[in-house]
Amino acid sequence: MSYVPGQPVTAVVQRIEIHKLRQGDNLILGFSIGGGIDQDPTQNPFSEDKTDKGIYVTRVTEGGPAEVAGLQIGDKIMQVNGWDMTMVTHDQARKRLTKRNEEVVRLLVTRQSLQKAVQQSMMS
Amino acid sequence: MTESQDNFQGWMTEPTSLSAGAQQTQKQESVAIQLMKHEKEVGVLSNELVSANTAADQKEQSTSEIRKDYVYRSTGRPEETDMLKSLVTDQDAPGNCGLYLPVSSNCSAIESSEDSEEDMYRDAEEIEREKILLGETSSSDYKLSVAPEMDIMEYCRKEWRGNTPVAKTMRKGYEAVAQKFASIRRVRGDNYCALRATLFQALSQATQLPSWLQSEDFTMLPENLLSKYDWIKQWQLKQNLGRRMGEISDEIKEYLILLRKKWKSISEIKGPIEKQEACDKLFKNEEEEYCLYEALKFLMLNTAIELYNDDKNGRRVPVFSWLLFARDTSSNPCQLMHNHLNHIGHSGGLEQVEMFLLAYALQYTIQVYRLYKYSTDEFITLYPNDPEENWPVVTLITEDDRHYNIPVRMCQETML
Repeated sequence: MSYVPGQPVTAVVQRIEIHKLRQGDNLILGFSIGGGIDQDPTQNPFSEDKTDKGIYVTRVTEGGPAEVAGLQIGDKIMQVNGWDMTMVTHDQARKRLTKRNEEVVRLLVTRQSLQKAVQQSMMS
Repeated sequence: MTESQDNFQGWMTEPTSLSAGAQQTQKQESVAIQLMKHEKEVGVLSNELVSANTAADQKEQSTSEIRKDYVYRSTGRPEETDMLKSLVTDQDAPGNCGLYLPVSSNCSAIESSEDSEEDMYRDAEEIEREKILLGETSSSDYKLSVAPEMDIMEYCRKEWRGNTPVAKTMRKGYEAVAQKFASIRRVRGDNYCALRATLFQALSQATQLPSWLQSEDFTMLPENLLSKYDWIKQWQLKQNLGRRMGEISDEIKEYLILLRKKWKSISEIKGPIEKQEACDKLFKNEEEEYCLYEALKFLMLNTAIELYNDDKNGRRVPVFSWLLFARDTSSNPCQLMHNHLNHIGHSGGLEQVEMFLLAYALQYTIQVYRLYKYSTDEFITLYPNDPEENWPVVTLITEDDRHYNIPVRMCQETML
């Protein structure tokens, strides 16, 4: 799953629909992100390709909205509500996920286990 | 060609001309004072003694001074007492350094606060800290060569408290690193630290065996080289071992096999947390750990021989290889072994040109944040400086090109 800027991206994706949880004045999602085009990709433990500057899920709060929706640690977020997440800065990613007027975010994520499962089923 | 040579000379000569810097003189005085303290910080890794030695060296102000000046001291752990004693009595050690080092079973690590106004004796704050440290040290952390993560800015605040120009530069440097990395792991400050830091980083993110490790002749390397170059018999093995003539080839072969075995098993671990745990475990095991460094050194020798021969046969070689062999003390691989490689881990560390050699031997790009070079274009230096696309990158931090630490973690992790 290596990403070459300028080339079309093909990936097997999973749809994840997260219903944010209201806590006081905040809407929380229950997961953490790492990565971004302004970050150092070599320290990302989840990416297969160490030049991948995409947005990855680094933590998932137990029992939180993200976990309930099926998000997993290590998932790479490709899209949020139609907005691309493969070439964004860390802060842009944060903003796209935390819009105050959006109670639901629909993510497209890809994960290595998915890729492998599809490859295997294609081969059989 | 001239251009890149100039660049090299620009920063190749830097280390030896550090003596000219006023900053170094200032540091020299305060560190000399620090050395007189007998601070007991068991289990705390430090690189401060490194700067002390650089300081002692600078008194000579000699740019042609070579490796024997860079004498490191290990951190104060009881099991290192013998090593420390031998270092002190080492013929190569400049007289000054021998005087400073307190040789006792409570050999201490020393803080490198860049604060020349600081009192010679410990203040209340430090005594408090010492109590906490002694209380927290458990026997399992005791031998850890790579300390657990610590927030970078917190580390910086502790290490550099003063307002000297050096302290300010260091703080700015750490801030810049903190844009990309959240934590730092201190690396044990003996003369293996460059090898240690690089290998640790490489293994922490290893997902496959490098091609040179996969080659079938890999383990035949010692035998092959020894049959061609008799002088390799004078390879200096780990300090603890006695020299066993004629068995060097077997010994080194074992180390190479161990390297491959460890690399393979760690790269096969899928989960990042488990992988990190496996690395931590390996770097707590002194016996195995030091074998790996010997293996790396031997690989560096092998690469040096290859480069030397290529050059002699008119083939193109990277620029650093000329610089490597341009030194008086290493005009050929045999001298390189005697005067440099044999000393690594004992009385000296890696010089910059040898960082290139290490990078080439591993086929990794070593990216180093060189803090004392903050606000110059050498702040982030790549070894090699025009890296191959497919060589993995590992990142290190150094304050002074002598001691290396490890930055960890993508910086920003935002909770949503």
